Amino acid sequence: MTATRKAGEPILAVSDVTKRFGGLLAVDRATFAVAHGSITALIGPNGAGKTTLLDLVSGYDRPDFGAVRFEGRRVDGLASYRVARRGVVRTFQLTRVFAAMSVRDNMMLGAQRHPGEGLHRLAFSRAAVRRAEAAARERAERLLRAFALDAKASEYAGALSGGQRKLLEFARALMAKPRLVLLDEPMAGVNRALGAKLLDEVERLRREEGMTFLFIEHDMDIVMQRADRVVVMAEGQVVAEGPPEFIRRDQRVIDAYLGRRGNAA
Amino acid sequence: MSFFDLDFWVGVGIVAGIYGIFTLGLQLNVGFTGLINLGQAGFMCVGAYAMGMLVVDAGWPLGLAFPAAIVIAVAAGALVGLASLRLRADYFGIVTIAFSEIVRYVFQNAAFAGGNQGIIGYDAEWRAFQSWASERLAAIGLGEAAEVPLLVAVWATLLLCLAALRALQLSPWGRVLKAIREDEDAAAALGKNVFAFKLQSLGIAAALATIAGFFLAMNVTYLYPSEFDPSFTFFGYAVLILGGFASYGGVVVGAVLLCALTEGLRFLDLPLSAGQAGSLRFIIVGLILICLSMFRPQGLLGSKAEMQLRA
Repeated sequence: MTATRKAGEPILAVSDVTKRFGGLLAVDRATFAVAHGSITALIGPNGAGKTTLLDLVSGYDRPDFGAVRFEGRRVDGLASYRVARRGVVRTFQLTRVFAAMSVRDNMMLGAQRHPGEGLHRLAFSRAAVRRAEAAARERAERLLRAFALDAKASEYAGALSGGQRKLLEFARALMAKPRLVLLDEPMAGVNRALGAKLLDEVERLRREEGMTFLFIEHDMDIVMQRADRVVVMAEGQVVAEGPPEFIRRDQRVIDAYLGRRGNAA
Repeated sequence: MSFFDLDFWVGVGIVAGIYGIFTLGLQLNVGFTGLINLGQAGFMCVGAYAMGMLVVDAGWPLGLAFPAAIVIAVAAGALVGLASLRLRADYFGIVTIAFSEIVRYVFQNAAFAGGNQGIIGYDAEWRAFQSWASERLAAIGLGEAAEVPLLVAVWATLLLCLAALRALQLSPWGRVLKAIREDEDAAAALGKNVFAFKLQSLGIAAALATIAGFFLAMNVTYLYPSEFDPSFTFFGYAVLILGGFASYGGVVVGAVLLCALTEGLRFLDLPLSAGQAGSLRFIIVGLILICLSMFRPQGLLGSKAEMQLRA
């Protein structure tokens, strides 16, 4: 399935998105775009509204106002599973693996349009189910090898370390062959060597499969090295957007985010 | 009556089989989908009454009324599901038990369902078959217990349902159900239509409840609302806990053990009144369940590793 891709049109366009929780304006007229095939970082101090924004993009919450367009079509207000089927797959800040299922089964669940997940196809097109299952298994084994989880394939996902769970969640998202991957702090709790591996894999997927990544990250070194665009949020608003070297020098960003850190140091 | 009375134990076997089929549906919901269905007796009531009324009032043959009753019960399951599956787990439980009680009180009070008199006379075809089968059994020396054909039918059905559910659980479909049990938000993030899967799970449970209700109706000879009160569902949960969470085999083992235990304890010869002896039986069963949850919390066939991971 290829996207209806017009020249210069961003893969994700967030415009004037607003979300209020009671008296708290969590996201305030956020507007930014994510370019096709980019690795875009979403940064900002705690409470800036980054995770809420990710929820609004992925259908886990509805904006009060504004629009989210993926490949030119509105996705705000769609159920989360429908957003995922369009090609937007996310991970969670607090890692969510299916604990009492094997690592391999966790991966298999990432497969999309699996005929074996429909009762009627299960009864009447057994050959198609077997084929899909074999194909999914092969892709799962390949991804597990890429993330050094192949030795753990038969173990319960709940028995993995925190870092390994992060990797599993990311690998599982990739099973779905998404076009846009939303990662909520993928590096948190992952040791540097594994983290570097994960980021290398992100760059390879962008290069070889044309995937686009939007990720929330707190480690500024990683953001500066790996992202080709940065979106900065503070107090619910997008305060700056641009390439890392530009963001680093932006006074609003320094005030809102880096400055605070700089003062503390 | 002696402990070795064959008719008695055939009767226990039938009841155990009925609870087994009934609880397989609960296990699908509770153990494999994470749905706290407290209204299973209500689905059984709808199915059994639909069957009885189609035969008695509409004059349908049993062979047609039975599949029609399954369709009606599944529709009831879908209706309850559409109204309540989007609720949080505990509220879903409340809605299902409310449904179960509404059904029971309606049938108890509605003239079309026979009210407190219930429904009688739907089992002529079954009785005819049963006496035909009994004669054949007597010819080969198995004629002592009259209800053997029902016992065979119940257990053949139970084992068939067990095999089918096990196959489903090993399929990609069953894998999605388990993922929903573990974390439905994460399942949705992978494109799974959580609501549709829950609805299917509930529909299949309602069908199993109807099959159990069908055999219950044949076993008791007339349908009466209080047969379907929520304690039937709770006894099903006791079977489920005894046999083990997320284990279909455990349901069969649990149903046999719990029924054999509650009925076998009738033979305790104590200087007590009938009422006291009846209460004592349940005290003993309760104590055994408490000991089980202390020393084997995963149930007889449940997986301890899985249980700890879910905690």
